[in-house]
Amino acid sequence: MKRLSDQTLYEIIEISADAPKEEVERACDRAAATYGAGSLATYTLASAEETALLSSRIEEARAVLLDPGARARYDERIGVRPATPSPEPDRPPGPTLVPTPARAPWPLPEAEPTTDQPRPISPGLPVVAQSSPPVEPGAAATAGPPQTPLAGLAPAPPAASAPSTAPAPAPIPLTVPAAPGPIALTRTVAPILLDREVVAPGELTVPDGSAWTGEMLRRVRESRGITVQQMAERTRITRHHLENIEQDRFTALPAPVYLRGIIVSLARELRLDGQKVARSYLDRMGAGTDGQPGR
Amino acid sequence: MGDGPILKLVQPPGPATESPPPPATRGGPRGKRADQRAKRILSIGGGKGGIGKSLISANLAIALARRGKRVVLIDADLGGANLHTTLGLDLPRRTLSDFILRKVERLEDVVSPTGIENLGLVSGALDNLEAATPKHAQKVRLLRHVQALDVDYAILDLGAGTHTNVLDFFLISDHGILALIPEPTAVENAYRFVKAAFWRRVRNVSQVFGYEALLRGVMDGASFRSPVELVATVVERDPEAGANLAHQLAAFRPRLVVNQVRSPQDAEMGHAVVAAWRKYFGLEMEFLGAIDYDDEMWRAVRHRRPLLIERPDAPAGRAFERIAERLLLADAAGLAADPA
Repeated sequence: MKRLSDQTLYEIIEISADAPKEEVERACDRAAATYGAGSLATYTLASAEETALLSSRIEEARAVLLDPGARARYDERIGVRPATPSPEPDRPPGPTLVPTPARAPWPLPEAEPTTDQPRPISPGLPVVAQSSPPVEPGAAATAGPPQTPLAGLAPAPPAASAPSTAPAPAPIPLTVPAAPGPIALTRTVAPILLDREVVAPGELTVPDGSAWTGEMLRRVRESRGITVQQMAERTRITRHHLENIEQDRFTALPAPVYLRGIIVSLARELRLDGQKVARSYLDRMGAGTDGQPGR
Repeated sequence: MGDGPILKLVQPPGPATESPPPPATRGGPRGKRADQRAKRILSIGGGKGGIGKSLISANLAIALARRGKRVVLIDADLGGANLHTTLGLDLPRRTLSDFILRKVERLEDVVSPTGIENLGLVSGALDNLEAATPKHAQKVRLLRHVQALDVDYAILDLGAGTHTNVLDFFLISDHGILALIPEPTAVENAYRFVKAAFWRRVRNVSQVFGYEALLRGVMDGASFRSPVELVATVVERDPEAGANLAHQLAAFRPRLVVNQVRSPQDAEMGHAVVAAWRKYFGLEMEFLGAIDYDDEMWRAVRHRRPLLIERPDAPAGRAFERIAERLLLADAAGLAADPA
């Protein structure tokens, strides 16, 4: 029996620490659906603060555990994978392992829908990345503390370790591929990618970060060889709703509170990231007119 | 009359904990042998009315009786009893009020036949207001007699609400079954019910082990939303008491049945409630199964016939069978682990 705030991210989403990425993803979705605001199962059980705390920790889990580099650092910090010689709970002062290659799979930040922005930026997140001067890669490689800190991951502010270690105190990630522009905070919080989808050969792939329209959902469905009727049977969403969703007939759709669940199940049936598709679709719908060919 | 707690205790963990011995209240009435007791007491509660507690009780009882278990179904919904109707029986001649008002000495004397082999009914249809609101001593006597029934299963159909009478029946049971339908009102009442039962158990445990002063000190000025916080605070003051308290409270393990399930998402509700209860309250619950929303069910009720007699093949009927099987398995496992 541990308090919510004391649980590890693995305990929060109820998986073992060696769970593969796909399982982490599923567990995040499941946890968000089970414990998030609006879940029937938590009605009157949890206070608003508890729900908010848990939701933010689930998003933290999504951000940290789905990013291999961040996950490795997190594992090291909580001691689930004592790979390094010093098993201190806090991060070792020396930048012993800088998981450089882990930076590769970052999404293009500008392609990310802006809605991802307000997610788990913890108050403690050092904003150094934005303001610090550029550092030549060599120096950063040896001296910088581990990569861009993620929400909840930085117990020791980089400044604290700087004096003891290093010629180059700036904790800029060394492999920032995109250039000078503000090293966007979105980078640290936006590891939700479509590339997590399982895409079978020959199936339609969807460009990262695109806004989800009904038309795209229809194309994905057709590329998977599923008819509207079959989809209705599998998801128990009525044909009527399915057609209205695919044709972006926003006014004919149920209220967002119901629509979210509908789109999540629809997207899952298409092996897409349900939460992300729903968020994107609902945002577009909230914005009003964005692309309504069906009307 | 002593307002002593009515409580099932679990063995303290390990030999390390030297707790005061629990005052065992196991003895049967009037010098009966203590081992002659209902092997398992099962109660069905849920806080809200109209969620199918009586139908679940009746059909589970039939399912168990058909598996060769000797079952007595007790309508403990005092003041709102109607189990006899569910079973298609006329109002029995003898009811619980005869026992409560001491017109008969033994609970066995008010067990009516149901026409179903191995199944007896204690009707709770009471015209007497005094009997419908039994005093503490009457309740204790009833509970002792239930425990002493010479059957395999005594099944208590509890009333709605969170009256202490209801909670005590629930807490004394080997299987406290929490009934729920996938609607916010039922969810709200179920959590209120199960939390009320839990805090009553805290109170009972603290009375039995003499932790009242300790708990009063701990709870003074603080409100604990969950057992996690409570136990953590007690441990700080008294590790041994804290460990025992955690152990006694962990034995609180309701079993969940989700009724009137209309979709796969509804059926998932059971797992979600178990998970949420663990996440936010830190305790375990066991999901026994979901029962389909089934037109055959209300048809059976209309005909005043139990579903498992009318249409055992209907989806809801099969669901009851599965739940009964799961209970039997749990008991078999429990017996193997604890041969006492």
